Amino acid sequence: MSPRREPAAALLEALRERKVLVVGGAGGVGKTTTAAALALQSALLGRRALVCTIDPSRRLATSLGLTRLSDRPRALDLKKVAPDAAGEMWAMTLDTKTTFDALVVRYAKDAEARERIFANRFYQGFSAALYGSHEYLATEKLLELTQDERFDLVILDTPPTRHALDFLDAPDRLIRFLDSSTLRFFLRPYFAAGRITVRIATRTGALAMKLVDSMLGMQFLQDLSEFFLALESMYDGFRDRAAKVQAMLKEPSSGFVLVTGPARATLDEARFFHDRLAEKQMPFVALIVNRLHPDPAHEPDPGGPLPRLDEELAAKLAAVHRDMQTLARAEAKGLVRLEVDTGQPPLLVPELEQDIHDLRGLREAGELILGARTLPRRRLRRTAGARA
Amino acid sequence: MLDRLLSRRLLFLSGKGGVGKSVVGAALALCAQRRGRRTCLVEIEAPLPAARLLGGQPGSSPIEPFEVRPGLFTINLEPTAVMEEYVRRTLHVELFVRKILQSPIYQRFYAAAPGLPELMLLGKIMDLTTERHAFDLVIVDAPSTGHGLSFLKVPAAASTAIPIGPVGNAARRIVAQLQDAARTGLAVVAIPEEMAVVEGLEFLEQARDEVGISAEAVILNQCHEPVFDTREEAQVLDLLAAERGGRLARGVTLRGALVAARRQMRRRKLTRFYETRLRKATSLPLVRLPRLFVEQFGEAELRRLAQRLEAA
Repeated sequence: MSPRREPAAALLEALRERKVLVVGGAGGVGKTTTAAALALQSALLGRRALVCTIDPSRRLATSLGLTRLSDRPRALDLKKVAPDAAGEMWAMTLDTKTTFDALVVRYAKDAEARERIFANRFYQGFSAALYGSHEYLATEKLLELTQDERFDLVILDTPPTRHALDFLDAPDRLIRFLDSSTLRFFLRPYFAAGRITVRIATRTGALAMKLVDSMLGMQFLQDLSEFFLALESMYDGFRDRAAKVQAMLKEPSSGFVLVTGPARATLDEARFFHDRLAEKQMPFVALIVNRLHPDPAHEPDPGGPLPRLDEELAAKLAAVHRDMQTLARAEAKGLVRLEVDTGQPPLLVPELEQDIHDLRGLREAGELILGARTLPRRRLRRTAGARA
Repeated sequence: MLDRLLSRRLLFLSGKGGVGKSVVGAALALCAQRRGRRTCLVEIEAPLPAARLLGGQPGSSPIEPFEVRPGLFTINLEPTAVMEEYVRRTLHVELFVRKILQSPIYQRFYAAAPGLPELMLLGKIMDLTTERHAFDLVIVDAPSTGHGLSFLKVPAAASTAIPIGPVGNAARRIVAQLQDAARTGLAVVAIPEEMAVVEGLEFLEQARDEVGISAEAVILNQCHEPVFDTREEAQVLDLLAAERGGRLARGVTLRGALVAARRQMRRRKLTRFYETRLRKATSLPLVRLPRLFVEQFGEAELRRLAQRLEAA
């Protein structure tokens, strides 16, 4: 096996041995499909793999050919598509509101505290928008799932945030927030009697408070403060688990798989994400580029004389060849830059000619990923040389 | 169709990430400008703002619209700057403003109040539709956060959570404006792929049931156009099966061209499949925009898309 096969081998090994894989990337690059395809490959390797997506829409269900998935892991029937699978494939989707509710039920100190949280107007309206709670809850759930005996491997499809890094930062941000003076500020019962009871030392501080009050009204501030007070009993648990997740993600049994498309904007995002992973010393597994347009010039010519062709057909054929080649070449340029900048040879997965919406398609996609080629070395050396 | 779409005062574009919303937004803005409508294209923290496609330098202000060509403005809003502008307008005195923006109480509050940035952004967008700015049309490339139409749902949540005070009132005004079908509309952008179509249809459902905004059209972007007729398609498949070779032209092998043709044909079939599916699922007007094969998308390509919108 040539050294250029390494990235696929590393991915294969991760599917065989690691316990947690986090699949990250921008929206619209086939991340969910990739996560599910990898879970199926892992099942084929004899492991019990769960794919979990944090997505209010039915994306994962769609790619599995199901009408819906719930937040309970469900075992998929692999008999038809992979009778040879020694392992199991499970799937679930995470609903933020349900997860948050479940956390409250589990960790609130008593029934009264629990009811206070549920009844809070602020919780009802905003719990889903709370400081990246989608991202935070994903990590929270991840911890729970990795402790579940039913699974050897958990593959997490991260939320398609605009800034794909939000996911990584969520536990940190939460810990910071819980330790911050912001929270303590809201935890002091300033607003208890419906008016500001605190004496704010500076004139600016008083003015700022007045501004906040006039903008939002005392009722809202009270609700907000009450909400934080009601949650107080849960803070130690939050902090504790957020730290655990952080530690777990850094372990060698975890790994990150970065997925991107060939468009310039998504490549930029992938590069950025990669740098942040390195900075945070997170274990990196593979960089996958989906939906590439293969260069038609790379098709080997079977040879022989050109058959007689209708002139119009010949012209059309030449035109589609040119169109496809234009895209392929533009994409290749971006990829060379990506590899030179990150030092990671991306796995190049061609755009499928069919859409995936069942397990059969997922199996093919997984095979395509594990069998993907990387960029030719020649080309990289040239570019790296030109850049240096 | 286009007349109807551009006749509103405020048009939101929504769709899954990666469907080319910002390009569609720029093409629509170009159409509106050509019709003599004073137009503002609003983006939110766009990494590659559409202004560059419209042939202009993007304006540097995150809160003031910038005229990229006569009668066509763009703005790339930054939530923090919008929030600061709000504080400025509420307080008037610059000395206080700076102190407040730096005061820990303000900072803490800003960090802790969820939904506030979205609300401020929508407030700013509503302000752009007022007489003061004299825009006939404001087009908003709504952020695709992957959380459905969450951006447009914030005002309703805020009006419940904030029962009194100017922000609560503003939230209620925004809800009313979003629901005013004579003034505000939504177009959903998709591409002919399973996930983008499923999500697009979900957006339509949420628009109707949860936001109450009037959906006006579905724009199916990156459609593969018909190239080969049925007889030619059969010929292509025969030649592939017979493994015929040879050269069509310099650097163009028959085999490469046939493989490219088969890909084109399959993608074309998918385009037709998803178009049919969308037409079955919704009675809204559907506009197809072609997949363009270029190395880099620029002004010329944008004009081509605008022409196609005109023809729809």
